[in-house]
Amino acid sequence: MNLFNSIQSLERALDVSSLRQRLITSNIANVETPGYKTKDVSFAEILKKEQIKNGDEFEFQGYRTNPKHIQIGSASTNTYQPKIIMENRTSLLNNENNVDIDYEMTKLAENNIWYNTLTQMANKEFSMLRYVISEGRR
Amino acid sequence: MKLFSTMDISASALTAQRLRMDVISSNIANAETTRGQYVDGKWIPYTRKMIVMEPTSEDSFQRVLSRYSNDLSVAEGVRVSKIVNDPTPYKRVYQPNHPDADENGFVLYPNVDILKEMVDMISATRAYEANVTAINSTKSMLTKALEIGR
Repeated sequence: MNLFNSIQSLERALDVSSLRQRLITSNIANVETPGYKTKDVSFAEILKKEQIKNGDEFEFQGYRTNPKHIQIGSASTNTYQPKIIMENRTSLLNNENNVDIDYEMTKLAENNIWYNTLTQMANKEFSMLRYVISEGRR
Repeated sequence: MKLFSTMDISASALTAQRLRMDVISSNIANAETTRGQYVDGKWIPYTRKMIVMEPTSEDSFQRVLSRYSNDLSVAEGVRVSKIVNDPTPYKRVYQPNHPDADENGFVLYPNVDILKEMVDMISATRAYEANVTAINSTKSMLTKALEIGR
């Protein structure tokens, strides 16, 4: 078992959260730009990939006779990429813009709290490690 | 550097909204200006100005590259690409004693609609506030990130 496993997961979650912040900021900045379309990170997909990685879900693995062969099914998800989705179909205003400012502000607040939660979890993780290193002596 | 680019996005929007506010103020200030431009020995009234906004790096190399290389840094700010004149006709008011009246006694007034400008002004203010909130949120995230591992 890897000692820093959960910290690595937290690190990736923080990455996704800051990417999401970028996209929300971009949406808010372009709230009145004609033709601009809302962007977001697809969380469901990331979650699914994480679940597969953690073995919560059945994963199809192709049998390979040589490690140099191309992998069948999903490869190691360690280098996964969060996916950016663009909501192209809807149009809220006359100028083809579909930024919903209320929704974006809610997402902004939500993302902020989520980021704070993640940093707190990382801090706890580190303090636990420190506790172990000092053999429980504080 | 990616760390502050999120704030740059909001900052670009603040600049754009402020410029928009400047244009609106100029429109309101000149709502009754009959002598905007002197062309061929005649005075033309002030023409209402409008701004055109577009995402930054709309056609830039960076953007095209990121689109084709599946790069994730596609978040973009906003900028005012140009300021254009409103093509709606000027208002004609019958004022025979006015120095700028034509031979029939009509004076041309700017095509500024105060109501329209007020509505634009409110939405510029609100957009500005939204972006300030976004900057504050990003700032608190960065501050939290500094606390990791402390």
